[in-house]
Amino acid sequence: MFLSDFEYFAPKEAGEAFALIGRLGSNARVLAGGTDLLLMMKEKMIEPQYLIDINAVPEFQGISDLPGKGAVIGAATKISEVEYSPLVKEKYFALHQAAGELGSVQVRTMATMGGNSCHASPAAETPTPLVALGAKVVLASATGERQLPLEEFILGNRKTGLGEGELLTKFILPEPAPRSASRYGYIGLRGAMEIDAVNMAVNLVLETDGRTVKDLRLVMGSVSPRPLISVEVPSILVGKQFDDALVEEAAAAACGEAKPISDIRASAEYRREVVAVLARRLLHEAFNAAQEV
Amino acid sequence: MKQLIKLDINNQVYEVPVSPKDLLVDIIRKKVGLTGTKKGCGQGDCGACTVLIDGAPVLSCITLAIACQGKKISTIEGLADEQGNLHPVQQAFVDYGAVQCGFCTPGMILSAKALLDRIPRPGELEIKRAISGNICRCTGYKKIVEAIGAAAAKISTGGVE
Repeated sequence: MFLSDFEYFAPKEAGEAFALIGRLGSNARVLAGGTDLLLMMKEKMIEPQYLIDINAVPEFQGISDLPGKGAVIGAATKISEVEYSPLVKEKYFALHQAAGELGSVQVRTMATMGGNSCHASPAAETPTPLVALGAKVVLASATGERQLPLEEFILGNRKTGLGEGELLTKFILPEPAPRSASRYGYIGLRGAMEIDAVNMAVNLVLETDGRTVKDLRLVMGSVSPRPLISVEVPSILVGKQFDDALVEEAAAAACGEAKPISDIRASAEYRREVVAVLARRLLHEAFNAAQEV
Repeated sequence: MKQLIKLDINNQVYEVPVSPKDLLVDIIRKKVGLTGTKKGCGQGDCGACTVLIDGAPVLSCITLAIACQGKKISTIEGLADEQGNLHPVQQAFVDYGAVQCGFCTPGMILSAKALLDRIPRPGELEIKRAISGNICRCTGYKKIVEAIGAAAAKISTGGVE
């Protein structure tokens, strides 16, 4: 379990980081939290010649509130900072929940928001709520930057839309709509240090009557190579008064949309059942929470 | 290629030659000679290698030593005070019989200390969550949880740091 040799860079400014990434190209890997990267290097799955540690770049750190306009989370922000952030808890509850369920305390202290999306594991915790909340990623390089919805950035198992010379620098979250609430849930083998068999996030907006669903996003994780946005659940619930019969119909629809595989953590059949259970549970939780906003 | 770096461990600065690939756990154990930090799974799962960096628990088996320059590292050796009095969490582990084979103990105690620094009076669930990244193969969790609870009570009534 030893690492092969590599050269180490720790840029202090964003421009320096972009220049290094541009110059060293695919021989380099970006070191953020290292909780996935160093394991892959120990296993010799990858043997990069260069590591570019981005943790000393202030622009990539921290959570900033944009009152009335959302929030920005730097890519090198630790998962624990998101978990403990009062702002995230208040505005983006599903993300707060997911951050608190990732790995162990130690892993959350080390791992970063950017890393969790760039590693693009189908079972990752934070991309599911981020997609439900409408997060965009900022991809920057020496020549400029562009924005993409997160669901267009994560393309499959360990595949992203990161271009040559680009770095994911931050997440932009929109301001939550009035009378909205988000909730996250998962099922795994244990309560701690597990990898989700299925996870899910719901972001639900109510009309002024407090009963009619105005907008809704339900996103499933670990049942497809990438976060799966339900098309059918919103078509069943949006514009209707929220009730148990519709929720049942929505849960069945989500179950039909999931494309799980059988693996070491769960069978496809079990995962499909769990999708219905989580959908029912989270739709109710989000509805109840949205009524109290 | 080795280079000299400075590591602040338990408020003492050590100058050590490291390669970029050297892991913090190996440097602490082999170069600095503080063997209280244990190397268990080497994959970030077991928590035996837990140390505190700037007060928060991290896994030294998946941390590059070279990335720790300018940070404050605390290991189990740094918890007792100058007179050698044990930290209340250490003392509680002794008093409550929370040490069996002892391999997980340094990591457990550091995770517990980080918890109590953040939440002085945690509930049982908070204690269990805080040590969920530290595996005890003797399975002596019950006494560990009791010891942490007792240490919390003692710290908040006794006014120790």
